[in-house]
Amino acid sequence: MDNFYTTSDAVKQIVKGLTLTKSLYVSSIVIGEPHTGKKTLLRHIFPDTPVVCGSDPEAVEKALDQNDEIIITRFELLPNKENLDFENKRILATADYIGNHNVVDSLFAFIYTMPPLSERPDDILYLKRRFLREGAEIFDIDAEKFPVEEIPNDIRQNCKSLKRAVYFRLAMHTMEQEDIMKVLYRHFFDTLQGNNAYKENIGLFEIPLIRAGLDKYGSQLKLSEILGINRNTLRKKIHEHRID
Amino acid sequence: MNTVSIDFKPFIEWDNNPFILFDNQGKILYLNNAAEILLGYVSRKEIFELALSHAPQSYGFQTAPVTLRYDIFNFFSVTVGYENEEQLGIRLYNAPRIRNQSPVENDKLVETDLNILLEANIALFRTRNNNKLELLTDPDLPKLKIDQNTFSKLLRKVFEAFRASDSIRIELKMLVGEHVIIEGKKTPLALLSVSANGRYVDTDKQIVEFAESCHVRYYLYEKSVKLEIPLLS
Repeated sequence: MDNFYTTSDAVKQIVKGLTLTKSLYVSSIVIGEPHTGKKTLLRHIFPDTPVVCGSDPEAVEKALDQNDEIIITRFELLPNKENLDFENKRILATADYIGNHNVVDSLFAFIYTMPPLSERPDDILYLKRRFLREGAEIFDIDAEKFPVEEIPNDIRQNCKSLKRAVYFRLAMHTMEQEDIMKVLYRHFFDTLQGNNAYKENIGLFEIPLIRAGLDKYGSQLKLSEILGINRNTLRKKIHEHRID
Repeated sequence: MNTVSIDFKPFIEWDNNPFILFDNQGKILYLNNAAEILLGYVSRKEIFELALSHAPQSYGFQTAPVTLRYDIFNFFSVTVGYENEEQLGIRLYNAPRIRNQSPVENDKLVETDLNILLEANIALFRTRNNNKLELLTDPDLPKLKIDQNTFSKLLRKVFEAFRASDSIRIELKMLVGEHVIIEGKKTPLALLSVSANGRYVDTDKQIVEFAESCHVRYYLYEKSVKLEIPLLS
């Protein structure tokens, strides 16, 4: 069973509503931004229900013929929705957007809206902790060393970007110098072109170097000493790279 | 025709049109079954005042066309009469109800606990409206056969009408003593009433459509929606 956790009142009501419909032959759809946990929620409440994707209309048609209960993900991708027959079936669906409102309104008895993570601050904290635990196991490191508060709340793509932020933080701390060079190698190999590439790419080295130095030593004078370069050269580079 | 020996009282007692006999102070001397149910929805005082206002100027009987609505009751006329100073009678005539002629699609009907359907719809409603909500249900309501999907759509549309309302009150109960004839069968009724400080009317058309499809009688008021749900078995 997929785990689903929430502290959001709105999501708790969705959980309650869907749980109550477990014994009813009704059609329900959960609509919300991508990566907000719609599919995880349905899999949590209906763990044994077959799942088909709206991008595969034939699979949906076959599943509807063979089952009284199915989960259709990405419902918005399904063509000819108006011809679907949901009578006396338990249909559960997810959609990233509503699409044709009238069709959805006429097909589904229960239309839920899943709030994005930006409206579920406590869920963000929970998910960060969960991703941290999972990631620490994968990277074989101690999760305790990474306070969740220090990991940025990147929720531009809800769970997807949040997970990436957590994994990125863990990956950073496990990287050796050689790994960093490998990452840069991959990047240069993929992007190197034109006739001014040296100047265009030198920032990849200089910007993090100067930023980290300034954060660590506080003053440009001290940093110039540490870097072994002239103070004016450092100031020029700070200006060039628009640091601060 | 000699009517002296005929006892008319049972005919009045079992008449579907409410009949009430008052004394000159407005105290009820007699009321038939239909009037007893009506008085659950309107006060004795209001009916007495109605009788006084439509009473003939001298002894006798007077019938007046009036359009009256007391909650789920609609009347199109009243007859008021008195033959002495002590007793005043009023009879209210039920407005004819449009009977749903569409056949019941038995293959779509599934035995259902109405309270679960209602609770699931309230959960859906609560995702959009956090205002105070009072719920009164009858946990002993018998299961009924219903098209669950269509009926859920009906409930969703009813609740949508209250999406921005305050002080919402939801009541689900048996309508004791009331029945509806569906396909020749006397079917008991449950009443679902949703009321608040106000409501939207933009979903009324769909409420009507889904209600008719489920053989549910609907009453759309300014601040409330009432559904008479046949308890098909």
